[in-house]
Amino acid sequence: MSISTATPRRSASRALASGVLLAVAACFLLPLAWLVLASLDTGASASLRMPEQFSLANFSAVLTPEQTLWPLWNSFLLSAGCAIITVVAAVLAAYPLSRYQARYNKPFLYAVLFGTGLPITAMMVPVYSMFVRLGQLDSVPAVALFMAATSLPMAIWMTKNFMDSVPVSLEEAAWIDGASAMKALRTVVVPLMRPGLAVVFIFVFIQAWGNFFIPFILLLSSHRQPAAVTVFNFFGQYGSVAYGELAAFSLLYSIPVILLYVLVTKGIGGSFATAGALKG
Amino acid sequence: MRRSISRAVPIILILTLGATGCAPEGSGGSENADGESITVAYQTTSAFIQVDALMKKAKEDFESANPDVTVNLEPIQAEENDYATKLALMQRSPDTAPDVFYEDSFRVRPDAEAGYLLALDDYLAEWEDWDTGFIDSAKQAGVGSDGSTYAVPMGTDTRALWYNKEVFAQAGLPVPWEPKTWDDILSAAETVKAAIPEAVPFNIYSGTGMGEAASMQGFEMLLYGTEDTLYDDDEGKWIVGSQGFKDSLQFVSDVYVGGLGPEVAEALDSNYYQQLNGEWYPANQVGASIDGSWIAGNWLADGPTPWPEWSEVMAVTPMPTQDGGEPGATSMSGGWTLAVGAGTDNPDAAFDFISTALNKENSLSYNVNASQVPVRSDVAEDPEFTESSPVSGFFSDLVEVTNYRPTTSDYAEISGNIQQAMEAVMTGEQSVDEAAAAYDEAVTSLVGEENVSQG
Amino acid sequence: MPAVLLLLLFMLGPVLWSIWGSFTNAALSGSAASEPRFIGVDNYVALLTDPDFPNAVWLTVVFLLVSAVIGQNFLGLGLALLMAKAPKAVRSVVGTTVVAAWVLPEIVAAFACYAFFSSDGTLNALTGLAGIEPVEWLFAYPMIAVILANIWRGTAFSMMIYEAALNDVAPEITEAAVIDGAGSWKRLAYVTIPMIRNSISTNLMLITLQTLSVFTLIFVMTSGGPNQRSTTLPLFAYAEAFGLGKIGYGTAIATVMLLLGAVFSFLYIRVLKPGGSS
Repeated sequence: MSISTATPRRSASRALASGVLLAVAACFLLPLAWLVLASLDTGASASLRMPEQFSLANFSAVLTPEQTLWPLWNSFLLSAGCAIITVVAAVLAAYPLSRYQARYNKPFLYAVLFGTGLPITAMMVPVYSMFVRLGQLDSVPAVALFMAATSLPMAIWMTKNFMDSVPVSLEEAAWIDGASAMKALRTVVVPLMRPGLAVVFIFVFIQAWGNFFIPFILLLSSHRQPAAVTVFNFFGQYGSVAYGELAAFSLLYSIPVILLYVLVTKGIGGSFATAGALKG
Repeated sequence: MRRSISRAVPIILILTLGATGCAPEGSGGSENADGESITVAYQTTSAFIQVDALMKKAKEDFESANPDVTVNLEPIQAEENDYATKLALMQRSPDTAPDVFYEDSFRVRPDAEAGYLLALDDYLAEWEDWDTGFIDSAKQAGVGSDGSTYAVPMGTDTRALWYNKEVFAQAGLPVPWEPKTWDDILSAAETVKAAIPEAVPFNIYSGTGMGEAASMQGFEMLLYGTEDTLYDDDEGKWIVGSQGFKDSLQFVSDVYVGGLGPEVAEALDSNYYQQLNGEWYPANQVGASIDGSWIAGNWLADGPTPWPEWSEVMAVTPMPTQDGGEPGATSMSGGWTLAVGAGTDNPDAAFDFISTALNKENSLSYNVNASQVPVRSDVAEDPEFTESSPVSGFFSDLVEVTNYRPTTSDYAEISGNIQQAMEAVMTGEQSVDEAAAAYDEAVTSLVGEENVSQG
Repeated sequence: MPAVLLLLLFMLGPVLWSIWGSFTNAALSGSAASEPRFIGVDNYVALLTDPDFPNAVWLTVVFLLVSAVIGQNFLGLGLALLMAKAPKAVRSVVGTTVVAAWVLPEIVAAFACYAFFSSDGTLNALTGLAGIEPVEWLFAYPMIAVILANIWRGTAFSMMIYEAALNDVAPEITEAAVIDGAGSWKRLAYVTIPMIRNSISTNLMLITLQTLSVFTLIFVMTSGGPNQRSTTLPLFAYAEAFGLGKIGYGTAIATVMLLLGAVFSFLYIRVLKPGGSS
């Protein structure tokens, strides 16, 4: 910053920028604030308002094993399984992309990027038929595998960007010592990009945690369904009746991913590490 | 080289597979390792708990009689439409198909054709109650297109006009109310509207969100009171372009666009049923509605929204035909059944479960609690049933004028088209003629030119 | 390579399955459920004559353009540009709020929007303060409601991408432009935007494809209604395949969506010709 002396015009534009930003933020805040306030309000309605009395009654009402705890555990299994598979597969796929300048790299990368956005919703109908045919309907591992595949393109993309920042020279040293490419990957590259992989892992985990449509179609037994589906059933049953409990349940379900997100952004340096990994 | 990694991947997979093994087992408790088990799927909602109660009771009875078989109850929390979707999704794959399930009678035929249902003839022949207890006409509900019986009816139902006497008295309308034509209904609704502007004058279910309730309690209660029907049984053809169809849509339009019904947005909300019957009727905020016998089940002492005064405040009257033509009143009957999945590993236990769930004692308490019309003569004659509700006799008698839905396997989809036409009209998106034309086109393209006839 | 295997099985597999399935009359119930038949292009012919299909395509295009390309993209870029000027405290407050809407699970975001737009929701309470009659947003203007909801939910993504991109624009370049006397709009148009062109193309591609996939948000808020006035292609495919049990027909719709996604994707890559990605 070479010109940092604040001229009047500059501070005026700063104030204007702040004003506009805060106004936008206020708009963004309204639905969020409702979620928080309604969860603490036993007489909550659809409208934002201060509870007459703050109460945790909504939370204790929904905090039962069937209602919340098992679904959250199911969500955890599904998301963790999906994220582990994704990270392992992404590292293996990203390594040659990052290290060898083959002719097909760029088209492959674009195909990967294209895959990141392939409308998964469009695929749910054929995927359902496919799961029926393979006899994998209602199977948690199969659903985790499918979810891993859907998040894989994005994960490859991110992993490759992180891997690019690991200097090749370190591996070269390993190669000279006679290590194979895979060994170099395992002993040199992966440890060095641990923070990056954590970002990928958490990113995939958050996505899987929030996914509703895939388990909604593919997991049919109530005891296998993750929180996304049970919270939706709850909405269908009590949606416009028990707003407070709906909000409380929603928040309980959201808190883990919010914490993970904070962990990524605060714990792993750059405040927008995730976005940094995404940029083209 | 590559091997060390490719070995690692399966290990991770196994870890995740192993971890998922920790997921809780069926809600009915852990599966018996060496004993057998059956899964029972049924619908439950916050406003509809009677089947849940029945199944819990049947599980208890069944397990005490068959200690080596575990019953896993699989209640599906969903409204009618979503329940049908979810059940169909489960049935499609043998691994997930339940052994016993709660099935709407109109889906029995298509599901039997799809190979989802087990023919029960051999079992029924050995079940004494089937011969002695069940009313012959009611058995039709479970018959497939090949003549075999695929499902056991739990009860049937009829539909009529419900009205709130206090609201009517307040509006200056005569009680008892005896409408003779559709116009009588509309004019009563207008009177209620003028007298109590904040009340819902009249309700008729409509729109895709209401699912089969819109088709049956809504549209077909109208159509079958005209000269026309949906389907020509003799020729086996669907009827398109009938005047009765348009008149029925016009009635829906008069109610919703004419401001005699609920707010359209409210009527399309998924919680509408519960609001209407659970909240607004008891609060004297509804004039009248077309609905089934079972809505009284909401108000019983152990129902979801008890309303002890309901039997004083609420009254029923038959749904008149369009212009009062013969037979003067009309009704529609459906009902739900229990069926056995074709892929079940344990058909004997599955059928035994059904015969336990629908024995006289359990049928009686279910028919009373859910305000159903019994399909067992011993239940229908039991004083416990006849005295259970002031309206039970009324709804049973409507069987004389009742109509049944077409029993072809296309019905489910065509019912969806009816709901779309209703929604288009109630929202004012399409005129009656446009919506009727769209319906005709949809039906023709579905069943083929050769299977429709002009009404 | 496991990644390739997984992608082949679960990405290419469904795509091929989709194309094959769209030529059959597979159904959830009825005789077509037990023995689906090959019916050639009948589903596509039916699709072309189905009046609901152009409706769904049109609503999808509107949803993509207004909520993603215009809404999320410009709002995200605008926020990122303003953030660069704002004090750190404001930056973190705004950033946290906007990103929070994005981090929430989709279904929770959808509930929050449902409540916000519902007839006795926050929006009507606010407009009521200004003396405006309450409006049934979800019923009277379902597309506006779901578009605003998608902007609310998705803008954070664009904002973060642009923030990262602007951070990379060397300050010397913009300052050189200041010294040349370029006004701030000119600077934006001729210096900043070209510098972050790659990010713009990537962002547009990603948010378009993400928005094409949006199902839960609309499903929860309006279920595609009333009367199909917010039925975008994913909702249409769901309703036909699972609601009406026409799996084959729903698969044909899915195939069209996949094609649409492919077209959008190629369009951006070609028009903006982004350079190498490293």
